[in-house]
Amino acid sequence: MAETLTSRPTLADADVHQANAHIEHDTNTGISNTKLGMWLFLASECLLFGGLITTYLLYKRPLEGPTPHEIFDIPFTSTSSFVLLMSSLTMVLAVSAIERGEHQRMRVWIGATAALGATFLAGQIYEFTVFVREGLGFTTSRFSSAFYTLTGFHGIHVTVGIIMLVSIVLLSLRGKVPEHKAETVEIVGLYWHFVDVVWVVIFAVVYLIPT
Amino acid sequence: MSITSHDDVPTTVLDGAVKDYSRDKVYVLTAIFLAALTVIEVLTYAAPDFPVWSDKLLIPVLMILMAIKFFTIVYIFMHLKFDKPILTRIFYMGLVLAVLVYLAMLSTFRIWFDGHHN
Repeated sequence: MAETLTSRPTLADADVHQANAHIEHDTNTGISNTKLGMWLFLASECLLFGGLITTYLLYKRPLEGPTPHEIFDIPFTSTSSFVLLMSSLTMVLAVSAIERGEHQRMRVWIGATAALGATFLAGQIYEFTVFVREGLGFTTSRFSSAFYTLTGFHGIHVTVGIIMLVSIVLLSLRGKVPEHKAETVEIVGLYWHFVDVVWVVIFAVVYLIPT
Repeated sequence: MSITSHDDVPTTVLDGAVKDYSRDKVYVLTAIFLAALTVIEVLTYAAPDFPVWSDKLLIPVLMILMAIKFFTIVYIFMHLKFDKPILTRIFYMGLVLAVLVYLAMLSTFRIWFDGHHN
């Protein structure tokens, strides 16, 4: 009687949406070291952005130069926020596609995510340009320094995310993202969603709450 | 019977509220929900005199909307709801630590009182 040597589930046997469903890895936690490392990194990122947001809250009332609500263009930033929010949808659809082994569809969704991220980034650069033209430079006031540092750090994270997304597409085109490496896409997705989550906080705290 | 990633979401996951929803549909519905919350957030700016968020209610309303969006993305899009509990604990460890540390810092700078900027 033939017996299988291992009963570990594969991607095809598990559904990430089933409660407690996951792929078992040969680690103490049953989670791959890469995924665990990404979650630890994201936890530490909470401290980084917490520090930047706190600094902004302390300095948001400028002693000189324009005030936040004299220069913020809320309709424009709302559109940018919506674009970034939708990029989280395309990202999760990409992860879903690679789990089903649909490589072409995964590349389309990843490409859409990168394009939406680039649109958000272009909007942020445009916004910065307008602010500088209106007299709000990095050293104009302590508010401007805190604002540019916070939103600039977030922009850098978006840029890194776009580079990772483009890399995934290029690797996939070369056949280096097979189904059993779908977790790579999921891990990049975790980073991307975190960038979106941080913007959810920045949008509310920086742009919508009045000074 | 094993459940493959090709199958629909088990109705138990959806609390039996709906049947035969594919995973992607859940994601799209989640995105629509998040978009709707964003519209409400923007309305607090466009219609500041609306009774629900007028005066002192504005900041609590914005904080609640922000928290709902935050945890919806973390739980649904980042799969935390469906993944191993240790990942939830790791993420909360960082999040709670950050919140406590910076609340302490804001308190040190007396941000809760008028005139702290002077």
